[in-house]
Amino acid sequence: MTETVGELVAAAIEATDALGLLAEDVEDEWTFVTDLVAAQRARLAAIADRRGEESATDSAAAAVASAADETHLIADPHRAIDWLSTFPDLVAIALGEPVGG
Amino acid sequence: MRFQDAAPDARAIVYAGVQRDPLVARLAELLERATPPQSVLARAVMNGERADPDVWRTMVPACFPDERSEAILAAALEVADHGDQVRNQLRGAIVEAVTERLLRRRAASSGDVRRERRVLFDGVRSEIHPYDVTLETPGAAEAYDCKWGARGISADVLHQLDDARRHADDEEQGLVVGLVVFDTRLACDVRLGRTSAPHEGIRLITIERLGALAEGLAGAPP
Repeated sequence: MTETVGELVAAAIEATDALGLLAEDVEDEWTFVTDLVAAQRARLAAIADRRGEESATDSAAAAVASAADETHLIADPHRAIDWLSTFPDLVAIALGEPVGG
Repeated sequence: MRFQDAAPDARAIVYAGVQRDPLVARLAELLERATPPQSVLARAVMNGERADPDVWRTMVPACFPDERSEAILAAALEVADHGDQVRNQLRGAIVEAVTERLLRRRAASSGDVRRERRVLFDGVRSEIHPYDVTLETPGAAEAYDCKWGARGISADVLHQLDDARRHADDEEQGLVVGLVVFDTRLACDVRLGRTSAPHEGIRLITIERLGALAEGLAGAPP
């Protein structure tokens, strides 16, 4: 069954939240991490607001699933911080959105 | 205002070996003309866990099929194949090397672009850390610190850049100071949003617009 952009974004937000939880283990960066998670959630949600009902392409669905799978492999909180800025861009590119929002 | 080579300490000597790694030059050459999605691909792979190139081709379909993307993917996977410490060193050196290559494209002379340089001002104690890359065009000099991610932006870095800019102004010398960050503008804005350190006069060049270094900095506002 074809997924919608909204469903892909919902999965991406879930993965972003999980990265944030892991990254929060870096205590010195707690504020940065929570701010970055909030900014990335808002960015992804804005895509869903505009295009949520749109059918996603198979390649976009596969790309987002693969990117989310990669985040699940991240065990190091420092690397999770790096992924908090990278993962939403992978999702954006898969959905034909510009890098950086 | 004058520029001076930084005295090499033990860290610098070790790091110089990293900077000379052929993999650094190879990736810098590829990223110099990369599209923003290709740069994100490189960042993701160098941050990543999986070594199967098909995983990354699936993850960033907009970049494939494409010869440069394939070359970026192969080189980035080589970086990711190292342990965390070496991986971190290589990534930092790659951002510096890309910055150098981009600045060379608009330098009047190749000798104007230098690495690991201090900026000295009359009556001002010299800074602790050298600038990663400088463009030493007489009357229109530029000094850059390079960061792999927004997290590398610290108050110390911002103060040093801003101090240099202000001291240059005091001497009525032109000095553009900037941060080249291989990360998104969004992440950098979040980072800067909480700092009390001065950053209004510091140019910010991020992964979306690395080419601004070669084209001039109109596209890289503070």
